[in-house]
Amino acid sequence: MITVEHLTKYYGRHLAVNDISFTINDNEILGFLGPNGAGKSTTMNMITGYLPMTKGTVNICGEDISKNPVKAKKNIGYLPEIPPVYPDMKVNEYLKFCAELKKIPVSQRKEQIESATERLKLQDVSKRLIKNLSKGYKQRVGFAQALLGNPKFLILDEPTVGLDPEQVAEVRNIIRDLKKDHSVIFSSHILSEVSAVCDRVVIINKGEIKAIDTIENLEKQVNQSPVINLKAKTSAYTADIIIGAVDGVEKILEKSESDGIASVRFSVSGKDVSEVQNSVISALVSKNIQIIETYTEKPDLEEVFVKLVNQPTKRNTLKEMVEEMQAKTPEPENSDKNKEDN
Amino acid sequence: MFAIYKKELQSFFKTPFAYIITALFLFLFTLSFNRGISDINSAKMQFTYSDIFATNLFYFAFIVPVLTMRCFPDERKFGTEVLIMTSPVNVFQFVTAKFLAIVTVFLFMMTASLIYPIITEVYGTVVVPALISVYIGFFLWGVMCIAIGMFCASFSENSIIAAVIGEAAMLLLTFINYFVTSEYFSAHPKLQSFAMMFAAEDKFNYFAQGIIRFSDVIFFITVIIVFVAWTVISLEARRWKKG
Repeated sequence: MITVEHLTKYYGRHLAVNDISFTINDNEILGFLGPNGAGKSTTMNMITGYLPMTKGTVNICGEDISKNPVKAKKNIGYLPEIPPVYPDMKVNEYLKFCAELKKIPVSQRKEQIESATERLKLQDVSKRLIKNLSKGYKQRVGFAQALLGNPKFLILDEPTVGLDPEQVAEVRNIIRDLKKDHSVIFSSHILSEVSAVCDRVVIINKGEIKAIDTIENLEKQVNQSPVINLKAKTSAYTADIIIGAVDGVEKILEKSESDGIASVRFSVSGKDVSEVQNSVISALVSKNIQIIETYTEKPDLEEVFVKLVNQPTKRNTLKEMVEEMQAKTPEPENSDKNKEDN
Repeated sequence: MFAIYKKELQSFFKTPFAYIITALFLFLFTLSFNRGISDINSAKMQFTYSDIFATNLFYFAFIVPVLTMRCFPDERKFGTEVLIMTSPVNVFQFVTAKFLAIVTVFLFMMTASLIYPIITEVYGTVVVPALISVYIGFFLWGVMCIAIGMFCASFSENSIIAAVIGEAAMLLLTFINYFVTSEYFSAHPKLQSFAMMFAAEDKFNYFAQGIIRFSDVIFFITVIIVFVAWTVISLEARRWKKG
């Protein structure tokens, strides 16, 4: 398990990450979602021990990354935003170097390199110079490097950026596959990607956590009534009257008619959605109206994302700022430390 | 640490880099060697390697920065610094591995230069103890330059800038004994004696004369340790400062 507590990072006076805390459980895929410049990479760099933090702790399987970096880093495989490859090396040479660097016992090296090569389908390019490879292959070589040493936690910073759709799908499959024996944290600014593979999502903006939850719970957070779409062989007027009379139907949002088929979109209040949907169907059927199709609309995740990201930051108002400053004053130790780091 | 050392050696020897720089070094050596021979006259049928090496110290200010300029800026450029810093290796091991790799290339260059004493031995006589002494001095001087060059590269984002700063630092070190004897320094004897402590060329000259003084060896080793330590500190400081 990785425990991140009160992680804060200042670049000079610029606050890049502000007091974030979360945990990553074993065998879990955690999505790290936020717009560009939200502090995703900075956080990942701190978790992996590349950047020191201004405040806070990162605990990896019981080892503190700043106090015991060598032990803690053994549990981590990291693929940074730019794949960390040496252009003048061949793929197999590079993986061999990484295996040595990660202190993998000699007896396991060959096997691990082979399995990583196979998993990322690098067999065909293993004897080519990395500088001659395409962006997608370079990314895969970087990914293979992160897998070496069988680390418990894989930290992937925007692993699908710059890949073609087929490669993106491949990377997603690999990530899903890895869940069996690893935990994966991966960052992205694309929502659909995160919702496709992640168990839980951390939404971050301007260095602050806006939400940590499962995708389903996030969907529930949108305060909007579920919406049902329905098409039936009747006039829009009749459909409106029949559907509007059903108990649980909140409001008819849209109605239209073409070629004798009415399309109606309506919202459902509080009650169980499928129950309302059933009563609407039976109401129509009892009037001998043929139903062509009906489906419930899923709440728009993009909407959730935009809403969460645009939540006011902690220090949005002057009053709050003053309050925070007052709260900080009784801790001279911390403020001194901040000055030093600046 | 051994992994980084091996990788560095590969990057020098699997590419033409080490061979080209050795060739350049030998070419410069040949120039001074030729001059040494052509200066021989009938009155004095000898020439000294000390003179040849003393000339080479000057060339060193240009050769060593080329060896050291890539070491950290390139890692930053390719983003591989992240790989190394997130592996179970600490900054000290990282710096030491790089340092030892460059020293190995330097030893390769020095071994190649042995061809001149061998040629001399074929056609004449070589005073072996004096040669050993000057080689020790030359080795210490070279390693000192490597440590300084690495330090200059440690705080630079760009390898060309690293090389230029390194060259300036090494030229200063080579010529400090000339500056020290200038009028300004003579007017301030305390400053002069302080600056004199850093006059590495004077210390090299003892080796060139065949005198190995313990204090000179300590001087070179101290400078090497100080600069390697500063490199470690400088890399750590960068991690704290930048993003």
